[in-house]
Amino acid sequence: MEIMRYLLLFVPALLLTAQTPAAPKKASDHKALAAASIPRNFKESGSPTAPVTVEVYTDYECPACRAFYMETLPSLNSDFVATGKVRLVHRDYPLPQHQFSKQATRYANAAGTIGKYDVVANQIFVTQPEWSQNGNVDAAVAKVLSPADMEKVRALVKSDSHLDDSVAVDQAMANNTDHLNQTPTIVIVAKGKRDVISGGVNYTILKAYLNQKLTQ
Amino acid sequence: MKRWLLIAGRLGIAVIFLYAGIAKVREPWLQFAVSIESFKIVPDTWLEPLARYLPWCEIALGIALIPGILARWFSLLATGMLAWFLFIGIRAYAKGLTVDCGCFGSGGGAIDAKWFVEHAAMLALGLGVTVGAFLRGRAPKRAADFRVPDLAEPTS
Repeated sequence: MEIMRYLLLFVPALLLTAQTPAAPKKASDHKALAAASIPRNFKESGSPTAPVTVEVYTDYECPACRAFYMETLPSLNSDFVATGKVRLVHRDYPLPQHQFSKQATRYANAAGTIGKYDVVANQIFVTQPEWSQNGNVDAAVAKVLSPADMEKVRALVKSDSHLDDSVAVDQAMANNTDHLNQTPTIVIVAKGKRDVISGGVNYTILKAYLNQKLTQ
Repeated sequence: MKRWLLIAGRLGIAVIFLYAGIAKVREPWLQFAVSIESFKIVPDTWLEPLARYLPWCEIALGIALIPGILARWFSLLATGMLAWFLFIGIRAYAKGLTVDCGCFGSGGGAIDAKWFVEHAAMLALGLGVTVGAFLRGRAPKRAADFRVPDLAEPTS
């Protein structure tokens, strides 16, 4: 009798716990996805045909993003991106409470348009403790660019009205599709499914998760 | 303690565990692993198995609490788990760790006063149900609960 009681409870409970199908995407989601397909090659790395894409939303002034960038990303790059298993996409999500984040984002994207995205993005994260105090992103970036390149970047930061276009696309994606609530957030895209993971991810578990996705 | 109060309390705990487990299994296990990792309490090698199976254990415990079979022991287990969750929350807060507890899936926010009140209330409920269940188990049953054999002389 007791076994029957358990069985009667178990069956509906298991049905309840089964994954429900995702709700149909809203029109705004489709718009955001379409907008996201605008080529922004300097923010992307790895094989375009990689079976898994990792999208990383960061804010240059966020300490957890810095930790993710410096501790997790190098291993991800060497083990998965460089080997063609994963395509990596950087996405900007400057948080309103961070005073200098937008400016840092403009510098990184300006450097991207002249082919220096990686070196400048890295420098901005490395020197975050300094410029987040005094707002002098320019001085931090100037240390890793030649004077000629630095002049180009300054000119773009000062006058390029389209420099924030890709940021707006990323923010639309974050708000409408991925429903971001913090940075860093990573989105693992495999077989059309987007797994949104909030918070800084330890490389050990990220590696296990990616390997699982790659073998599925 | 009133029997109906114990049943209501036990079902309340069952709902909490079912909700917590279901919320987590509907998300990628990596999300819960990130939450567990933020508490800095288990080695990295434990993160994946804990993130994969703890939510299912919560669901199983939630289901086990419903029918009332071995209720004392399942209530004790649930209370132990609630006490552990509260302890690691206090520990993380004391250490100044930035954690998202992930108790009911992602987006629960950081550990704050509201979190402590909620978890203390859940623990109090668990303790009440467990103590009540053990006391009730030891108390002599009321006469009305027994079937009294009719020993009267049969009349012819």
